Amino acid sequence: MELNPKYPMPKLGGHRPSLQCVINTVGAVCDRALAIATIVTLCITATPATAQAPAAGLFPAYTAPRAIDGKPNLNGIWQAFITANWDVEAHPAQPGPHPEIMGVWGAGPGGQSIVEGGVIPYKPEALAKKKENFEKRMAVKATNDPHRYDTGDPELQCYRAGVPRANYMPFPFQIFQTPSEILMVYEYKGAVRTIYMDPHREAPTDSWMGWSNGHWEGDTLVVDVTALNDHTWFDRAGNYHSDALHVVERYTPISPYHLKYEATIEDPNIFTRPWKISFPLYRRVEENVQLVEFNCVPFVEELMYGPLGLYKPPSR
Amino acid sequence: MLHRVLALLTAVVILCGPVLMAQAPSGTKAFDPKAVDPETAIKAAAAAAKAAAAAAANWTPPRTTWGDPDLQGYWLTATYTPLQRPPELAGKAFYTEEEALAAFKKAVESDAEVDPRTVHYDWKEYGMDAWQSPVRPNRRTSLIFNPENGRLPALTPEAQKRQADGRAAARARNPQVGVQTLNNWYTRCITGNNAGPMTRGGNPGSDSAAGAAGVTAEAQIFQAPGYAVLIMQSNSDARIIPLDGRPHLPSNVRNWLGDSRGHWEGNTLVVETTNFIAPGTNFLGGTARTKLTERFSLAGPNTLRYEFTLDDPATWTQPWSAETLIPRIDPPLYEFACHEQNYGLMNVVKGAQTREAEAEAKKK
Repeated sequence: MELNPKYPMPKLGGHRPSLQCVINTVGAVCDRALAIATIVTLCITATPATAQAPAAGLFPAYTAPRAIDGKPNLNGIWQAFITANWDVEAHPAQPGPHPEIMGVWGAGPGGQSIVEGGVIPYKPEALAKKKENFEKRMAVKATNDPHRYDTGDPELQCYRAGVPRANYMPFPFQIFQTPSEILMVYEYKGAVRTIYMDPHREAPTDSWMGWSNGHWEGDTLVVDVTALNDHTWFDRAGNYHSDALHVVERYTPISPYHLKYEATIEDPNIFTRPWKISFPLYRRVEENVQLVEFNCVPFVEELMYGPLGLYKPPSR
Repeated sequence: MLHRVLALLTAVVILCGPVLMAQAPSGTKAFDPKAVDPETAIKAAAAAAKAAAAAAANWTPPRTTWGDPDLQGYWLTATYTPLQRPPELAGKAFYTEEEALAAFKKAVESDAEVDPRTVHYDWKEYGMDAWQSPVRPNRRTSLIFNPENGRLPALTPEAQKRQADGRAAARARNPQVGVQTLNNWYTRCITGNNAGPMTRGGNPGSDSAAGAAGVTAEAQIFQAPGYAVLIMQSNSDARIIPLDGRPHLPSNVRNWLGDSRGHWEGNTLVVETTNFIAPGTNFLGGTARTKLTERFSLAGPNTLRYEFTLDDPATWTQPWSAETLIPRIDPPLYEFACHEQNYGLMNVVKGAQTREAEAEAKKK
């Protein structure tokens, strides 16, 4: 398990977890928490549709290893293994939009809600808009005016995912931590977020990934995200927000291999009250694991510019 | 004010037509362009260069809390110094300080001058000319120092043939432009201006600020235990550099920004990058097999020494190296959501197609 001899993996309760231990989970005498963590990881990896936040009490009390400044050390590559990118609310498995050519490749897995209470508290008119979003989720409109955003799922066009969606896209992301700034780099689109810890900074204008200021509450990294634009969605199901969106994220280490992710989502234009999501983030522990670039721009150029006659050179 | 600048930038990009460039970052510093004139800027740059040199004396390079040399901060890669040494300076690798300032002054004045009859828009109105930033004069007459003549090495026969074939193919296409055939990755928002080598030198006399010294030339170096991350304002390109000696990705796994590995040699961060998809215009003709080696070190508290070597036996008869000094700037970087608001691309391609159709019609 020693992935990087210079920068050792965090220890759990004084026992250094070994790869042996992970492999021999069944029947091996392992640290109990590690065994549970591993079983949870294995189960959820095998059947992502059943993934959900660990129940309270599943993990024993845990103190995270410290970074050099004494704060919990969140450095690492993390990934959610849930199906919220298809729908943050509970959803059955479904065929893709073009099963005649995509077969099962385009299909979406079923999954349970990551929303506390199960359902997003939409205002009635906003719920109608959400349904309309879903109907036209594959609409694409490349134009020279802001109507280009009045379209389907931004993910389809390789737009940045925004917050919180970037955290549960089916791609890993990496956290780099210093006392003054925490950097998050997402494999999807190579999107970058800087979380200003000290000093906090003021958002200059709205953006796709928003503006993040952070602080520690005990072992929890709390991030206040503002200045998000209204072009991103929460998922492929058309769940959406306005530019009044305000997200407060909480990242809490619950084992050497897991962070509990929670976010409170507030947008008085769209929702009747603030609502909460939560799910675990899993540490990617493979030897030499790294983000592999997912620069999707070239993948959508034909989709976006083809209908305008701009993708392929015109034939004469 | 900020919103007005952004609106203007957007308008300008829409009007840009066939000028091959992408748009400005999503956020741009509020800026009063009338606050700085070229003369004031030249004096300030000279003073900043002097101060930087003075600060480098009796100075110990800092370390991170975990013990690595500390290169962190925000940096500006813009420079008026050309990549290749101008022929009239043959044999002269360095200016004197006075000559360097005179060359800088000349470059700034030429950059600031705009012909109102031909200009698409005047960059300095938006604070985007390089002299309106902390760009400094440089004693080098060219960024290239190897080969010693300060010029790109000769192309290999293979590269000569490749380039001739490319030109012939472009003529045979007779001529047709689509997004698909645009080889400028920045225009398509695939990579930014500073993907690959962080700077490719200035082009004094160029009529665009991008050509003259580089725009959106801001960069950030971020470090954490075991890693360095290089973030470019242009296209918000982020290059993650593991420092643990792990092997490169297999050769079939290729990235637009390549695959970087770094290590420390004393206080210098040495980064080797391979596995490129297609280096394109940022690599001056190099192929996807190009190996980029970069050396980052501090030359003073507020100055980054940046050296890079491009090696591609399929293109150049020898590896070549360039070096520049990069001033520290204030945070932060802004999100550069290039593809999300690529209003320019459609007009670039439409304009080119229209011009080609007209040219075709004339021939008939």
